[in-house]
Amino acid sequence: MPRRSRLGGAALVAVAAILLVLPNVADNYVIYVMSRLFVYVLVALGLNLLTGYTGQVSLGHAAFFAIGAYTAAVLAERWHWPSVLCLVGAALVSAAVGYLLGLPCLRLSGLYLAMATLGFTLIVQEMLLQLSVITHGSEGMKVQPASFLGLTFHTDYRKYYLLFVVTVAMLLFARNLVKGRAGRAFLAIRDNERAAAAMGVNIARYKTIAFAISALYTGLAGALSAFIVGFLDPQEFSFFLSIQFITIIILGGLASLLGSVLGACFLIVLPELLAGLDVWQALVYGLIMVVTIIFMPFGLSGALQRYAHRWFGIGVEPMIPRRLGH
Amino acid sequence: MVEILTSQVVSGLATGCVYALIALGFVLIFKATDVVNFAQGEFVMVSGFISYTLLIRFGIPYWLVLVLTIVVSGFMGVLLERVVVRPIMNAPIFSIVIATIGASIVLRSSAGILYGYDVLPLPTIFSKDPIRLGIVSFTAMDAGVIGFSLVIMAALYLFFKLTKTGTAMRATAQSQTAARLMGVSVPRIFSLTWAISAGIGGVAGVLIAPIIYLDPNLGFIGVKAFAGAILGGFGSIPGAIVGGMLLGILENLSGYFFNAGIKQVSTYILLILVLVVRPSGLFGAAPVRKV
Repeated sequence: MPRRSRLGGAALVAVAAILLVLPNVADNYVIYVMSRLFVYVLVALGLNLLTGYTGQVSLGHAAFFAIGAYTAAVLAERWHWPSVLCLVGAALVSAAVGYLLGLPCLRLSGLYLAMATLGFTLIVQEMLLQLSVITHGSEGMKVQPASFLGLTFHTDYRKYYLLFVVTVAMLLFARNLVKGRAGRAFLAIRDNERAAAAMGVNIARYKTIAFAISALYTGLAGALSAFIVGFLDPQEFSFFLSIQFITIIILGGLASLLGSVLGACFLIVLPELLAGLDVWQALVYGLIMVVTIIFMPFGLSGALQRYAHRWFGIGVEPMIPRRLGH
Repeated sequence: MVEILTSQVVSGLATGCVYALIALGFVLIFKATDVVNFAQGEFVMVSGFISYTLLIRFGIPYWLVLVLTIVVSGFMGVLLERVVVRPIMNAPIFSIVIATIGASIVLRSSAGILYGYDVLPLPTIFSKDPIRLGIVSFTAMDAGVIGFSLVIMAALYLFFKLTKTGTAMRATAQSQTAARLMGVSVPRIFSLTWAISAGIGGVAGVLIAPIIYLDPNLGFIGVKAFAGAILGGFGSIPGAIVGGMLLGILENLSGYFFNAGIKQVSTYILLILVLVVRPSGLFGAAPVRKV
C-alpha cells in the first residue's frame, strides 16, 4: 500500500500544518471550539481502543471523564500540586479505576456490559453530588488555569497549543499500541475470545489493560477539559455524555483512529454550525445523525475506506463485525 | 409503620409494572429482530402527549383515548422500523442502536417544539385516595395501573400462545430462515413486532404520565426499563416482567429509607451486584459462543 501511505502522509502533514497556524488566523471562539474538539478526540481514541478494538462496549466513560476532571481539580485546589502532576495524577487515578472496573466486567459482554457501565456512570455522578466535602456537590468547582515552568495557560491561544501537543502525542501512542502486540491481542479478543485464548492471548489481562488504557485517555481528557473550561459542573457528567462519546466513535468508525478523529470533529463542530437554528437545533442534529448512519453504517472512516477502495483502488474494503462481544 | 411500608411496596409495584411493560417492548423487538431500540422510551413520551392532546384539547372520553393512543403509537413504531431500522438491518448492531438514539433525539425535540418543556398534567380515571385492606394500604391508581398492566401482559401471553400470528412471531424469533421456509412473511412480522412494542409503550405512557410527569424528557424512563430488562436477563419475557417490577419496588423502598439521590442510583447498584454474580441477568440464558 505505498500509494495509500504516501497520500495519507501528505494529507497528515497538510492537516498538521493547518492546525499549527490556525490560532494565528482564527478568532478566539474558533480556537476554543478546537480545544474542546481535541478533548473529545482524546476520549474517542480511548473509547475506541476499548470498544472498537477490544469489543467491550462501555457507557462508563462519562464517569472516567469526571474522575479525571475532579482528580485534577482537587489536586490543584487542595494540595496545590503543579499542573503537570495534576494531569498525570488524574490520568493514573482514572486508569486505576478503569482497571478495577474492568475486573468485575470480565464476565460481562455486549448489552450487559453496556448497562453495567452505564450504571457506573450514574453512580459516579451521584457520588460527585453526595461527596460535597471534596467535590463541592452541586455548586461545582472552580479550576485555576494550568501552568508549566512559569508559563500560564490562561488564554484560548495557549490552551489550544497545550491541547494540540498532548493530543498529537496520545494519537501517536495509540497508533503504536494498535500496530503492536497489544493491538493484535485486542482485535483477536474482539473477533473471537476462544480462538484468541487458544492462540495464547491472556484474555483477562488484555481486557483489563484495555479498560485501564481507555480510562487513562478519558481521565487525561477530563483533566485537560477542567483546565480549559475552568469550571466543573457535576450535571455535565451525566449518561448523556457517555452516549455522546459512544456516538462519536460509532459515527466516526469503530476500530479506527481516523474514525475517532472524524467522529469527534463531526459531533463537536456540527452543533456549532447548527447553533443558529434555535429550537430546531436538536431536531436537525438528530436527523443528521440518523441519515449519516443510514448512508454510512460503518461510520465516516468506514465510508472513506470503502469508497477509496471502490473508486480509486486504494486500501482494502473495511471489515467490521456485526456484533461486538456477544 | 407496616402500612407505610406496604403502601410503598404497592406503589413501587405500580411503577414497576409500567417499567415491565416498557421492558417487554425492548425484549419483543430484540427477540424478533435482534435490534435494541433505544427509542422505546420515546414511544412512552409521545403517547403521553397524544393522550393529553386527545383528552384535554379534543375532550374525547378516556377509554377511546386509550385505544386511539395505542393505535397511533403502533403506527409510529411501524414507521420508525420502516424508515430508520430496515435500511440498515445488516449494519453492525451498535450502528442501529445509534440510529434509534438519533430517532429518539428527533422525537424528543419535536415534542419540545410542539408542547414546550413545562410539565403538563395528564388526568387519570383512577382516584389517588388511599384504600386500606387489613395491613395493606394503597391507592385506586396503584391498583388500576397494576391491574391494567397485568391484563395487557396476559393478553400478550394468550396472543403468542393461541393465535396463528403469535406462533409465527415466536417462530421468527427462533429462526428467521425456518420461519420463512414455513411461509411466514418475516418483514411483516418485523413490522407487527414494532407495532406491538410501540403499542405497549403507548399503554405505559398513558399509565405512567399521571403518576410521574409529562414533559419531553419522560422518555428517559426507557433507561430504567432497559435496566429492568437487563436485570431480568435481556431476551427473556418473564425476566423483563420480573426485572421491571423488582426495580420499581426497590426504587420506591430506597427512596423511603434514604434520600432522593440514593433512590436514583440504588437500582443500578443492585443491577451491578446481580450482574457480577449472574452475568446474564436473573432469567437470561448464558450466551451461546460460536467458535
